Amino acid sequence: MRRVALVGAGMTPFKEHFDLGIKDLVPMAVTEMEATVDKGLDRGDIQAAWFGELSTTDGFPTGILADSCGLLDIPVSRVENACATGQDALRNAFYAVSSGYFDVALVVGADKVRETSSRATFWEWMGMTRDMAWDFPLGLVAPANFALHVQRYLHESPATKEHLAMIAVKNHMHALTNPKAQLRHTITVEQAMNAPMVAEPFGLFDCTPQSDGGAAVLIVGEEVVDRYTDKPVWIRGVGLGLDRVMHQHKVDMTMFPATQKAAKASFKMAGLMPKDIDVAEVHDCFTGVELISYEDLGFAERFEGYKLVEAHDTTVGGKIPVNPSGGLKGKGHPPGATGIAQCVELFEQLRGESTNQVEGAKVALAHNIGGPTAVAAVTILGSSKD
Amino acid sequence: MSALAAIGTYLPPWGSEKARLGGLDEDALTMAVEAGLAARSASDVAVTKVVFISRSLPLVIGGNSAVLLAGLGLANDTEVIEQVGGAPAVLDALATAGPGTMVLAADLDEGAGAGAALIGPGPGATVTSRGRVHRSLPVRAQSLDGVLHEDDDPRLVRERGTRASFQGLALDAVPFVVAGLSPRETAAFSGPNPPVLPATGAFSAIFALAAAAESGAEQLIVAVEQATASAAALGAGTTPVVRVEPEPHSPEKRRTHPGPDIKIAFTAYDRAFDSKVAWEAGECPSCGTLALPPRHRCLECGEEGTSVLVALPRTAFVYTQTTIHIPVPGLSTPYSLAVIELDGVGVRSLATVTDSEPDTAGIGSTGRMVLRRVATRSGVPDYGYAFSPDGIVHRPAYVEATISGGTR
Ligand SMILES: [Zn+2]
Repeated sequence: MRRVALVGAGMTPFKEHFDLGIKDLVPMAVTEMEATVDKGLDRGDIQAAWFGELSTTDGFPTGILADSCGLLDIPVSRVENACATGQDALRNAFYAVSSGYFDVALVVGADKVRETSSRATFWEWMGMTRDMAWDFPLGLVAPANFALHVQRYLHESPATKEHLAMIAVKNHMHALTNPKAQLRHTITVEQAMNAPMVAEPFGLFDCTPQSDGGAAVLIVGEEVVDRYTDKPVWIRGVGLGLDRVMHQHKVDMTMFPATQKAAKASFKMAGLMPKDIDVAEVHDCFTGVELISYEDLGFAERFEGYKLVEAHDTTVGGKIPVNPSGGLKGKGHPPGATGIAQCVELFEQLRGESTNQVEGAKVALAHNIGGPTAVAAVTILGSSKD
Repeated sequence: MSALAAIGTYLPPWGSEKARLGGLDEDALTMAVEAGLAARSASDVAVTKVVFISRSLPLVIGGNSAVLLAGLGLANDTEVIEQVGGAPAVLDALATAGPGTMVLAADLDEGAGAGAALIGPGPGATVTSRGRVHRSLPVRAQSLDGVLHEDDDPRLVRERGTRASFQGLALDAVPFVVAGLSPRETAAFSGPNPPVLPATGAFSAIFALAAAAESGAEQLIVAVEQATASAAALGAGTTPVVRVEPEPHSPEKRRTHPGPDIKIAFTAYDRAFDSKVAWEAGECPSCGTLALPPRHRCLECGEEGTSVLVALPRTAFVYTQTTIHIPVPGLSTPYSLAVIELDGVGVRSLATVTDSEPDTAGIGSTGRMVLRRVATRSGVPDYGYAFSPDGIVHRPAYVEATISGGTR
């Protein structure tokens, strides 16, 4: 299999785009990506596209991508895999290019959460990932879905709600310099601790906002990289992991086996270890999920994730900065776009171009977990091929 | 001969001593099941017929009997009569019932609660009719338009309703207690120091019988509803009474939120029904692993398509839980959800926490699984099991084997 690199990566701002539809956000993201291709992109070079979109808000997804971006003569496939959607679209495109079948492929992720009223959103989005007889009617809303894990985690580990608040503070601070971030204001631990309760233990500041947005990357085969840039970002590893769907079948809810499996696959492909990661974008739809993920990704020993938080190791400037973009928490979380947007941030980090640069970052990791915590994706990127 | 084999009573833990309120997830059916299981815990009489009497039947079209039988752990070929009626109808049903009949009565209005009386071949106290009178004075009336019409004239009701019907009964003694009246009216028409009944609806007749049974003496009981009255004599004999009557609490305020209906998929409803409403798991015949919900492929050994439904334990502890505070359309907030683990079998389930204020049950809390209306979806009640933390509603230790046991 040949090597594959990102040669362009761009995104729309993440926010409540009431004035823009998916037909606007998708071409805007592609144009943003196009502008980052150092030596320029002729769209006629694009041979195939993958579109990650969780919820269809404005009609037929792949047709919209082809139609709205002027790409009517190439195959387009839609990928839907809960919050792992974006990275899974990238993973599928990676295989196609790595196999040698295509040289140049486009990967787009987009979603419009705020297309339906916030009241309707609850049941519409829950209906996509819940057992309709057993879970759905009980009101297992997204925060509760993760809160059940984090409550048990806080019960068994030394971590406290204060550590969750510290993660919220960190990610808000990281988002400050990100022009694409939805929430660009700092908060204090006290504010986070005293915020209105959403679902125990998550207060308002432990939760990602509802966002709209799109993100896009261009990936190319090793032999054609030079045509587009002298500073490619290499895809070193991809991995997807799954777990039992219903909470009652997850033996130990203090961890996410889906993440562990995705990480194992991705690290194996990359031939790297967790200690090799210089910067990471980790799924923080809720602060406690970032904390548990430190352990599943191998950044911390079991039940010792809080130590990274206390030592500010995951803050930019620390040993293993996590979510320099602000994460889902600060940047926003349109699910289909989220995984691609993480790669946009890491593309910039590995080229030394981020607005919140981690000095000397050479190897980076992106992570998503979603659905009823039953699917996770881990992508490892590097500034060098090996 | 027919005799009262057991009586079960149920009052919800909400409201006040004067007027109980049904919980947000309770209805006449779930309360009737609570009372029915209480009665079944004290008798091994096999139930062959169920008479369910209420003026608050959850469904008028659509049927309640399948849920009722599953909740009671009875086979789905058991005869069921769903009857709209009040306290006199309950006394009549009991006086004419044969062995194996369970009479259930439940109400939501005018005091929520339920009663169950199980008729067996003896031993137990006999119930004999002492007459009935059907007269008409519909000062409270509701027709198919659903609107309740009430005429506030208590003296008219007392004289031309209660007293005139009493005269029609031509009783030869003053009754021990009269069901269907306010405590003050009850005292006026009963013998000295009548028991105080918690409500005036259908189930008050069973509370009257329970008090009579507990008195240890032969007693005359009357039940009235506006201008209709029935009398029955409770004979000699011992009938166990199992009361599930927790202390009442005033509920803390919960908010309801407008928004779209919670949609129901009847295919999923149908597939889940037996397991979800009878509280049964799929058991793998090869390795014995239990699966909730039942599934095509065994969780443990991979055997496919052979699982059989078996009854699950009803005691559990909380593995993890959370309380949701944000507004969720169609639900009342805050509400608590838990992943519970059933004692002895290691089977877990996601469940709402009931009978208590939100956040009452922490990790490790113990409790029982009870039938509740877990949601109302597109106007249809959706029944399943909720977790009732210990220490609030004290229920008898049901003989699990009598509840289902794979006989359904
Ligand atoms: Zn098996």
